[in-house]
Amino acid sequence: MIIPFIEELNAMKMKEEMFDIISTKGIEELWADFRNCFDSEVAEEFLESLLTLMHIMFVVNHHYRRNINQFNGRYQFCSEDGEITVGVIFAHGRMKVVEGMVDAPHITVTFRNGRTLLNFIISPRQDILGSMLKHDVRTEGNLNYLYKFGFMAKQLQLMIPQLG
Amino acid sequence: MTPITLADIGLKEFTLQNLPRLQELRSQYFSRRPEICIERARYITKYLRLHDDLEDSPEIRQAKKVSYFLHRKSAQFHDRNLLAGNTTSKALGAPLFPEFFALTLWPELETVSKRTKNPQLLTDAEANELNLEIFPFWMDRNVLEITRTRFGNPKCLQLFENLVFFIAAKAGCISHAVPAYSLMLEQGVSGLITMAAEREGELAAAGDPKNKQQIDFFRAVQIALEGIIAHAKQLAKEAEQLARAANDPAEAAEFAEIAAICRQVPAGPARTFREAINALWICQVGIHAENINMAMSPGRLDQILYPYYRRDITEGRLDVGQAIELVGCLWLKIADNVTMVPEASEELFGGAGTVPAITLGGVDANGEDAVNDLTYIMLRVTELLAIRDPNVNARYDYEKNSTAYCRRVSEAILNTKSVPAFFNDTANITALTGQGETLEHARDYAVIGCVELASSGRDYPASSSIMMNLAAPLEMALFRGKRPITGDEQIGPVTEDPSTLRSFEEFWQVFKIQLDWLIGQAIQLNEYMGSVHQEMMPSPLLSALFIGPMDKGKDLIQGGALYNSSGATHIGFADVVDSLNAIEQTVFIAKKFTFSELLEQVRANFSGPQGEKVRLYLQNHAPKYGTEAPIARKNSRNLVQHLFNLYQSHINYRGGRYRPSYWTMTNHAGLGGISGALPHGRKAGEVFSSGMTPVSGAAPELTACLNAVAELGGELVPGGWALNIKYTPEADVAKMAERFAQTIDAYFRAGGQQVQFNIMTYEMLLDAKKHPEKYPELMVRVSGYSAYFKDLNEMMKDELITRTQYGLADGQAVPLPALQ
Repeated sequence: MIIPFIEELNAMKMKEEMFDIISTKGIEELWADFRNCFDSEVAEEFLESLLTLMHIMFVVNHHYRRNINQFNGRYQFCSEDGEITVGVIFAHGRMKVVEGMVDAPHITVTFRNGRTLLNFIISPRQDILGSMLKHDVRTEGNLNYLYKFGFMAKQLQLMIPQLG
Repeated sequence: MTPITLADIGLKEFTLQNLPRLQELRSQYFSRRPEICIERARYITKYLRLHDDLEDSPEIRQAKKVSYFLHRKSAQFHDRNLLAGNTTSKALGAPLFPEFFALTLWPELETVSKRTKNPQLLTDAEANELNLEIFPFWMDRNVLEITRTRFGNPKCLQLFENLVFFIAAKAGCISHAVPAYSLMLEQGVSGLITMAAEREGELAAAGDPKNKQQIDFFRAVQIALEGIIAHAKQLAKEAEQLARAANDPAEAAEFAEIAAICRQVPAGPARTFREAINALWICQVGIHAENINMAMSPGRLDQILYPYYRRDITEGRLDVGQAIELVGCLWLKIADNVTMVPEASEELFGGAGTVPAITLGGVDANGEDAVNDLTYIMLRVTELLAIRDPNVNARYDYEKNSTAYCRRVSEAILNTKSVPAFFNDTANITALTGQGETLEHARDYAVIGCVELASSGRDYPASSSIMMNLAAPLEMALFRGKRPITGDEQIGPVTEDPSTLRSFEEFWQVFKIQLDWLIGQAIQLNEYMGSVHQEMMPSPLLSALFIGPMDKGKDLIQGGALYNSSGATHIGFADVVDSLNAIEQTVFIAKKFTFSELLEQVRANFSGPQGEKVRLYLQNHAPKYGTEAPIARKNSRNLVQHLFNLYQSHINYRGGRYRPSYWTMTNHAGLGGISGALPHGRKAGEVFSSGMTPVSGAAPELTACLNAVAELGGELVPGGWALNIKYTPEADVAKMAERFAQTIDAYFRAGGQQVQFNIMTYEMLLDAKKHPEKYPELMVRVSGYSAYFKDLNEMMKDELITRTQYGLADGQAVPLPALQ
């Protein structure tokens, strides 16, 4: 389910190509998908939407890109049911999304479902501690990388009204 | 014994109306919104990026870092407080300490100023600087990550990060100390620098390479203390500029006087009461440059400052009104900072202050009454200001202190509805002598943070090192090493299935296996983090203000203090005792249920009509801690005894023993909220009881309740405890104060170590929850510290509402009204 979008993302090597993707898919539609994750009860597509938009905005928005200019970080996201296993690698000012496991992640996040991941990372009343206390989400590794990721996700969320 | 010379120890003639400066400062204090201060984070990061020399010893690296910041720390005067110096660059600041948990703020940089609950202001420019300049530097460098890297993500660290077993406070702070300020006041910081320089010179002249660590320590002390002097000079310079710029001659004179004081202290000896207060405060500011703002407690100020007060009064330089004003200014300065609390932590720590404790009264080193005029002045200031910090505590020796003093403290509590807390000298001195402290040193104890005990400036107890959730090992005993919240994961040892056990004694053994294992894990992590602190966070500045390090040539974090220990506090004590009681009585004595049946109901959270029937039976028929029931008394005693023996058998990285204590901050609400049902009829998600307090509604008679708690006090609780009692207010305060004092006296004679009060009704608190705008300044005691009710999270508010309320007149619990 998640493989096609990863392939698309990793194909976005050039800014021009990125603009092609945006124009094909329609940026409004991408933002709408992302926004729907907050409104709907089902948020299974949250990770896909988040990573897609994050990837695009790093390319097209130089202000947002400053977050990863000198950042090296390796993230592993896994759903508890094993359906989703996605790695995200930040290196050399770029973001790369990979299907499956990444080597030596700084942090591994295992989540019960999309909704719990959303609540954990980005919901209006972000609840990292609550999610961990309730064991909706488990982490292993350096939480500081998660905090940074949470900030980048929150920035993305705050961009929604500007483009809406 | 010091004679009391005040005509009225209540000092009723002094009110906020005739102390306009304090009234204005107090009003400003309540109108301020907390702002996040990035100044320290900025300068220490810059220092480490650009100037840090890895060849330096840890002590010297830390000293240079702190001194670099203090040389650049802004000198600001936000109001007409008579004292110079602020812990942060903001009027009410939340400083960031990236060595610890500051990065938890990262996800909230864009929203922290606007969040609904307890917002903390942060400018866009500062958020940007944190995001791009400061936080990235610390991603792999804070205490937690260095511990993980060095020790290979050990099991004990993973348990901590699970959050539901124990909290390892060293990941978040190093603090919790009471310095010894007397020597600094007598000799000035320059005098301490000279002492350190002389010791460095002597050791260097000996030419022994083994002296290097001591030489480095004394060098570090000088570097760090020079930072304090540099900051005082900056304060003087700024005050001089403000004096020149002032249009009002009175204001100009005020700033000129402040400048003159900062030119004298803390570099030189304090010559007056005012200089002593400001010197002490600037040193507190310096301590906060080095260590996090958590429970850095000034100690016995009525003793330390008394010689300066008495001399000024005698020589006509000071009157009581001026002394009250100066003490009030100090109280408001101490309250100038809050902790940075990310929204995600509100559930556990919301509403907490920084808990700098001040200790009044009690006895002196010779065992004589130490209450003096300044004690009453400080009580009056506490009463008039009624602010969350400082956390004021009154020691009481029922043999030596006067009844008038006990009544006066009682009256202050009734008037403020919550402060100060009462501490029993006899029991607490016994607790400290039991730890090997001399009688003279134990008598000079001060309270740290919430309720912890330490001989002033001699004892480095790291008193909040471990916060153990006692419900965790109980659940692990019930479910063979697993907890419902962590699912099928095997956490602790696989112990026997409780349904196969033949006696309560066998279950007690199983429980102890899980308890000992979990405490072992917590201690292991504390040791790991302690060794990281030794390398990363020595405290040469704080060490210079302690008794011990300057003799040993050793930093506090290396064991330089005269006495060393690590503190472990416990969450869920009463709930666990009541669960043990329920198991013993209903399964093994009355045989009302089999263990399997009880476990089945616990697993099912007492759901359905049958579950509710069982739950009600357990609540109504099982013995309860806080009553005279023999089983409850035995189990509470056994648990306290076992924890004492267990902790005392461990020696920490500084060569001291672990000390158990019983205070919970707001963790009893947060951890209760995520814990499963327990055998005493508590349903899943209900808050635990606070500190050492019996479960709400379990102890219907006040006297029995106080006696049941009191008999546990003394030697077995060297870390201190928090007992919360709620009383119905009465119209006649004087009459109530008399009964109040009598009850305190009886509780202390029975052995009680500490007690704190909320003088309020269920109805009032329910109304405050519903209409927070009507109670903007309502202060409550949580578990060892005070908080503004409106700032607490919902669970904590409910916990305060449902705490047992007693009528002092009849000593009976007031029935809890039906809650909506």
